[in-house]
Amino acid sequence: MFLAGNNSPIKNTSYKVVLPFYGYAALSFLIATILMLINTSAFTAHYFNPHTLAITHTMALGWGTMIILGASHQLFPVMIEGKLHSNILAYLSFIFAAFGIPLLVFAFYEFNMGLVAKAGSILINLAVISYVLNLSLSIYHSKSRNVHAVFAFTSVLWLFTTTFLGLLLVWNFSSNFLSINSINFLSLHAHLGIIGWFLLMIFGVGSRLIPMFLISKYENKKRLWLIYALINTGLISFIIMFFLSVKVELYFMPTLLIGVSVLLFGNHIYRSYAKRIRKKVDEQVKISMLSVALTMVPVIVLIAIIILFANVNSLQLVMLYGFTIFFGWITTIILGMTFKTLPFIVWNRVYSSIAGLGKTPNPKELFDNKIFIVNGVVYLFGFIIFGLGIVRTNVLFLNIGAVFLLITAVLYNFNVFKILFHKAKLNEYKNK
Amino acid sequence: MNIKTNNPDKNEIAIAALYHVMDPEIDLNIVDLGLVYETDFKEDSDDIIVIMTLTTRFCPMGESIVEAATQAVQQPFPDNNIQIMLTFQPPWDQSMISEAGNLFLSS
Repeated sequence: MFLAGNNSPIKNTSYKVVLPFYGYAALSFLIATILMLINTSAFTAHYFNPHTLAITHTMALGWGTMIILGASHQLFPVMIEGKLHSNILAYLSFIFAAFGIPLLVFAFYEFNMGLVAKAGSILINLAVISYVLNLSLSIYHSKSRNVHAVFAFTSVLWLFTTTFLGLLLVWNFSSNFLSINSINFLSLHAHLGIIGWFLLMIFGVGSRLIPMFLISKYENKKRLWLIYALINTGLISFIIMFFLSVKVELYFMPTLLIGVSVLLFGNHIYRSYAKRIRKKVDEQVKISMLSVALTMVPVIVLIAIIILFANVNSLQLVMLYGFTIFFGWITTIILGMTFKTLPFIVWNRVYSSIAGLGKTPNPKELFDNKIFIVNGVVYLFGFIIFGLGIVRTNVLFLNIGAVFLLITAVLYNFNVFKILFHKAKLNEYKNK
Repeated sequence: MNIKTNNPDKNEIAIAALYHVMDPEIDLNIVDLGLVYETDFKEDSDDIIVIMTLTTRFCPMGESIVEAATQAVQQPFPDNNIQIMLTFQPPWDQSMISEAGNLFLSS
């Protein structure tokens, strides 16, 4: 038992650490959709082209990774039941990434893999090292090492593996010191990030947060450990197969392991939903649960790619695979979870000192819920139409889909910045 | 709901005030949510100690809830020194939600 207050041992991470990540991620999403709209033809070509690489890295690093870094600085203490080790390391992580990502994206867009690309990838690795160090020391000092924290920590190690391999590949483009073609390593680099970083982190955090938001009685740690084992076994076996250059058909095995883990996780979330105490589920949680269902889409596309590998059309399926991951699964969970975390962080900043003195707005009132719902519908149209455009190699569909996705990003940014710039109406309190 | 106290009369006033403190995420007051464990009205000082918990350690809304609880109890007891003590023994779980709270959440 301890006295609550400024010196409380359970003091939260400062909002100053977290908020810049959210703002940066929102702008990255906007930039990615603009790049997409002015380069739709890139989605009819081979996936290895400068504009697709630039858009993919804007989405993977600027959008997905930055928002997860931000949210995890706030949520990791909840998961490990311990304080974040250092705010300075968190700031460093943001600063390095904030400068590194645009450099790398610009280098890809211009396909100039010289100094700018190298500087960008070095800065991104410094950001990840700061993050890994911060989370490792936070775990070291915490008392609880539960399954959710293990998911998150392992994912962070995979993130470093991904960005370090990325750095080597960037270097190899100009000096070829690895005596390999960097292009051949793209699928390894991509899957380390997609499975090791995004999937493990999202499942680790989601398995803690979604039941918490639903106030669910369901708990099944054994199942979560099984999911953890399946994902890591799948990824490690993929890496081994990659280096052994095995037949394509054998990639069914890691795909199957990951596919089963996704199904088990979907079932875990469904059971949490079925055993919830809180009957009314808000739109933010519904969208996050839709994202769980969407996790299966890339797995199905991947199975199709393996079956159709010899067919030239599978190139479009590879493009669709990447699109369903970054613009489908990852984007959906961010669209939902942003408005389940950010309003509360800002509400805490604005109203914690005057809480209890009068009626404060609900955190949900910090953003426009109608725009949030419209955003969800526009996004779904954009996702489906653009996806069809990729499959049918139809530029008209791609353009229409890209416009919908750009509108999604504009509406999302509107709500995010409405929250970030929210000011307390202090006069109301002075009169009370 | 079983809130320990050493002064049932004053406890009733304090709890009535704490009913106005909401968990902003769940939109349920902290009394029905089962976060308040004990009130202690010191006889040898002006201190009023409220022993409570949070739904989870490092709850992002924890600081606001504690601040609101302090302000809420201060209103009916303006001359007292309100202290909020946090404990995680026992840790909060769903069984601590009151009947009224369960009714609200299931509606």
